Amino acid sequence: MALNDNTLNKEQTQKRILLATAISLAFFIAYDFLYLQPKQALVDEANAKNKIVMQQTQSTNTATNNNQAPMVATTTSQNQAPVSTNAIGSKVVSTIKTGKNIYTIDSFGRISQVTLTIPKYIDEKGNHIKLFNPNQLKPLEVRFADPATNKEAFEKNVVVSQNSLDATNSKQQLVITQKLSKTTLTKVITFYPNGHYDIKATATNNVDFFITPGFRPDVLADMYADHGALLALNDGTLNIIEDEDMDKPVELVGVNVASAFDRYYTTLLYNYDKSMAVSVMMDSSSSPQIFIHAKNSIDLHGYAGPKEYKELVALDKRLSAVIEYGWFTFIAKPMFTMMQFIHDYVGNWGWTIVIVTILVKLILFPLSHKGMVSMNKLKELAPKVKAIQEKYKDDKQKASMHMMELYKKEGANPMGGCLPVLLQIPIFFAIYRVLLNAIELKGAEWILWIDDLSLMDPYYVLPLLMGVTMFLQQKITPNTMTDPLQAKMFQFLPVVFTFFFLWFPAGLTLYWFINNLVTVSQQYYVNTLFAKAKEERHEKHLEEKKHNKKK
Amino acid sequence: MNNIVLIFIKFYQKYLTIFSFGSCRYYPTCSSYTKMQFEHNSFLKALLYSCLRILRCNPLFDGGFDYPKTRCRSKNKLHFKKIQVKYWKIPVDNNNCLIVKHNKKWDK
Repeated sequence: MALNDNTLNKEQTQKRILLATAISLAFFIAYDFLYLQPKQALVDEANAKNKIVMQQTQSTNTATNNNQAPMVATTTSQNQAPVSTNAIGSKVVSTIKTGKNIYTIDSFGRISQVTLTIPKYIDEKGNHIKLFNPNQLKPLEVRFADPATNKEAFEKNVVVSQNSLDATNSKQQLVITQKLSKTTLTKVITFYPNGHYDIKATATNNVDFFITPGFRPDVLADMYADHGALLALNDGTLNIIEDEDMDKPVELVGVNVASAFDRYYTTLLYNYDKSMAVSVMMDSSSSPQIFIHAKNSIDLHGYAGPKEYKELVALDKRLSAVIEYGWFTFIAKPMFTMMQFIHDYVGNWGWTIVIVTILVKLILFPLSHKGMVSMNKLKELAPKVKAIQEKYKDDKQKASMHMMELYKKEGANPMGGCLPVLLQIPIFFAIYRVLLNAIELKGAEWILWIDDLSLMDPYYVLPLLMGVTMFLQQKITPNTMTDPLQAKMFQFLPVVFTFFFLWFPAGLTLYWFINNLVTVSQQYYVNTLFAKAKEERHEKHLEEKKHNKKK
Repeated sequence: MNNIVLIFIKFYQKYLTIFSFGSCRYYPTCSSYTKMQFEHNSFLKALLYSCLRILRCNPLFDGGFDYPKTRCRSKNKLHFKKIQVKYWKIPVDNNNCLIVKHNKKWDK
């Protein structure tokens, strides 16, 4: 495409391209080291501080924490619900074990923590993953529209029906009651062996209250993927509110799913039979807090755990909507579905990626094969091409015009076309998003040293292999460059790509590597086919000559 | 709107072409074609024709010469200032003109 840029002199072009490469590399590296990593460090530091604060409050049992009810809810009272104090590290009054996790209920009737007990979910230190940051809004916290009642609710402890329940084999019911002067709040929670729960919250005397799925899990919330609140509405639309990105509270009706999520985990409340009205409030860091409106009584289903496709779909097919891949969801989602399907047969995500790559190549085969064949045809026209290049040395535009004429005359066009190049981009991004966002691929291994496809290759082997195959591909592909400078830059490309890929997830590098490998073998095959045909023609020619002589 | 697209194309032609150069089967190339489309036609028309062009740019089509078209408007505007020729419009039928890039070599 740079062919017709006849106004640029060569030196300028070379400088520009070197500059562009340098700038983009510098940008990616700088972004990672200067922005993402310090941000993570800050978060870690803040978490550490929070832990200290939490321990202190546990010992003194006094802390200030805003527990306002969303003020928008009741039009009757314009005044804000009061600020009440409560102990953040309130006492655990009940523990429920299910087949997949452990719930703890605190003295205010909230889920204070969810610990994932499946061996797959362990952190770097080998501990079971705990979903929630203890300083944040907790799931099933209830706030009342009436300020006095709200204040009282954070001073009075609840009464639970059981101190511990075992729901590993059969569903179990827990009743939490809180007697307040104006109303009695009852939460009936049914825990299921598969880790989810149903909740029926009832408040007597016709009072307005709010219930929340809690603040998002805080296991992995970084810059690489979205985190915040997601609300699925009954018209099929999604409303995503990212952390630290709110400027005013949001009111929504017709909500079926209210989910607060980080990269891999979610806490959500849903009801597909009866939609909810939801207020999304801002916390002190402009992050969303979800409050579901309720009067008298509300029935909801709840889930707190990994955003694992199969698990969510087992609860309700429509729940797959909460797995979200950013901008590229529309293409990343079908990609994941396809990969999941293949994985069911193969059992290894690395091999799944290999198969997906080959499948994509197979679909594009008619395109690439035709391109390679016509490219080989043109190799035989090399002298004519050279003549054109000589003749229009100084005018690239004219040269490319005459080349086009030649192609037309010979009925062969050596260029692959823009479409095959552009098609690679969405496929590439889809795989990238799936690798980053799908918890199924977290810690997914391939062979030998690759033990996490979603992280970079620790020994840089795959990026190097990728660079080598790319170099090979260029060597084996008949060169159609008209300009020696372009040819030089083209040769430089594998080095640039290798550099780029050093820090990319290993799964993505694997995709690109296999992609190159298939192209190289395909090209090799087509080339030998042509070489053979040429040889045969040559032999025929010689034989004819002999024959003629004999005559 | 068209200007936003043109900025993107300019950026692409300047910096991203290294990743895909030498691949277009047409003259003018897809990016030049798209640029001309957005310079001469309405947003939707330009978008449609540019998309069709990119879809056609694969080995199943022959490629070759394919100039963008636009309506020939003769508003009889007289310019007395010195102009710089960028494109030539070549009428092909009653209403339509081909857009052909002016070759700067001719100026010399």
